[in-house]
Amino acid sequence: MTDVAVAGNRTAWRGRLGTEPVAARPPLDARRALQLALASIWLLDGVLQYQGFMFTKGFNQILAGTADGNPAIIAKPITWDATLIDHHMVLLNAIFATIQLLLGLGIAFRPTARIALAASILWSLGVWWLGEGLGGVLNGAASPLNGAPGAVILYALLAVLLWPADREVPAPFAAARAVGTHVARALWAALWLSLAYFALTPANRAPQGASAMIAGMESGEPVWLQDLQKGAASLVANQGLATSVVLAVTLTLIALGVYLPAGVAKATQVLAIVVAALIWVFAEALGGILAGGATDVNSGPLLALLALAYWPQRTVPAAPAAMPVVSGQPLVSEGGA
Amino acid sequence: MTPAWILDVFAAIMLVVAAVSAARLVAARPWLRGAVITDTDISHLLVGIAMAGMLAPGLTTLPNGAWAVVFGVLTVWFGQRVVRDYQASGARALAVGHCAPHLVHSAAMLYMFLAITAPASSGGPGMAGMSGMSGMSTLSYPTLAFVFALILVGYTIWDLDQLSSLRHGLAAAVAGGAAPALAGAPAGTLGLKTVAGSVAGGGVAAGAPTGSGEAGHAGTAGGGRPGVMATAILDSPGTVVSCRIAMGVTMALMLFLMI
Repeated sequence: MTDVAVAGNRTAWRGRLGTEPVAARPPLDARRALQLALASIWLLDGVLQYQGFMFTKGFNQILAGTADGNPAIIAKPITWDATLIDHHMVLLNAIFATIQLLLGLGIAFRPTARIALAASILWSLGVWWLGEGLGGVLNGAASPLNGAPGAVILYALLAVLLWPADREVPAPFAAARAVGTHVARALWAALWLSLAYFALTPANRAPQGASAMIAGMESGEPVWLQDLQKGAASLVANQGLATSVVLAVTLTLIALGVYLPAGVAKATQVLAIVVAALIWVFAEALGGILAGGATDVNSGPLLALLALAYWPQRTVPAAPAAMPVVSGQPLVSEGGA
Repeated sequence: MTPAWILDVFAAIMLVVAAVSAARLVAARPWLRGAVITDTDISHLLVGIAMAGMLAPGLTTLPNGAWAVVFGVLTVWFGQRVVRDYQASGARALAVGHCAPHLVHSAAMLYMFLAITAPASSGGPGMAGMSGMSGMSTLSYPTLAFVFALILVGYTIWDLDQLSSLRHGLAAAVAGGAAPALAGAPAGTLGLKTVAGSVAGGGVAAGAPTGSGEAGHAGTAGGGRPGVMATAILDSPGTVVSCRIAMGVTMALMLFLMI
């Protein structure tokens, strides 16, 4: 840490014993790093939820709109929830935002990571139903380009896969540690195969399906992003079927990648990250954050995070129950370093 | 629009950060020979006041131009510190050093004061121009705001993880810290050295060379007497990092509100 030392008439900047140690920190394993990435996204969501738009009728109308086309047993609770929020808009939205903020902070704070992850699963399931209408899975609105199967369910999936327990040691990838390799692979395949299926639904393979979806995200975005989206929309204009087929084949390849040898699996993980990035930038417009009014970052970053959780590793040793703090290592004075 | 009471809550948190930083500066007793003042405390104090002024329209502080100059200076200061850290420790300094997050904080504040477009209804200069932050004011170059917010969130999460992994929070200072520190300290003294020692007692060793500047804080505690615990908390690394976490979250919030 840097200090101003005032000694008599002299003023000098120098280092002293840092109150913010920069050494002797425990190693950060892959799973913890991914947990922190998940925590960052939750924190972002919490902050986004405090935006002015969320305290208006517009937000409530979005929630109510997710009931459309869903079976009554799904739609009625959504409508009830939207009505409740309409009556207590400010209070409930402030609570929602604070909960998401605390989930992010809770996952990042090691003593509360476990309980925060558990709470995030419950919260995600609730929001998936009452806030996203199950991501449009049941009403035909789902598309890999618009965040299917619902961005928030990916939070829950990540929380399960990154749960701080070790069922299988050593594991071939971080996501297998908590649930085992077979279950982790099955979850991965189910997710990406479902995305491949959604890519081929009638609405998405319509001639203007992909193009219209991309163009629909342009409003309110910065010019540079609008230009990118216009380019992408014109590229797939009237090519709905071809786009859907290419997308479905790619997503299927990604789905099966975890069952392939490590070298090939890595290639498919890279492909998954690239696809997630393309979806996030071109189809999801960075979650719509730059246009204001976004409630979350959408599915792109979460899909990429999932891919990293499945990144093949030689061995993933079990983490100690409590992270030991190295004793006897000197702290480094930040100012003096 | 974001309700004013929510912004007021965040403004209050920023004022607490500013107060804590001011207390740390006063505790350093800069009027004495050999006193030590940390640049982070100065930064926290200024950022806390400026952000509180941005969030709460009732708080009038300095004109935007003056704040821009202040944070321009801080940005340059922490920028050169990051360069020095980088030369000494390489890229690792960006992740574990304290200067990089403060550089981001200062630069983000500078950006906000330069890029804000005052609401049409605002006629006066200064922070009152941001009274419409909950809905009227926006920032030029919103992509930059997004990038700043992402980095701030990243540092906040990283800080929180490191805070808990090192167990150098308030609990360490209070619960595990006071007794061992007193036991190991010379009678009548409890300063940074002993507080650091108390952290070591909690599992982290401290062995860095201590400058003479420590004496400035060493004399402030009056060890073994009332106020020791308060001083220990004030001097705790957890306090500093907690302030930084609060600032990071609030700053990210402000950036998103003005996108």
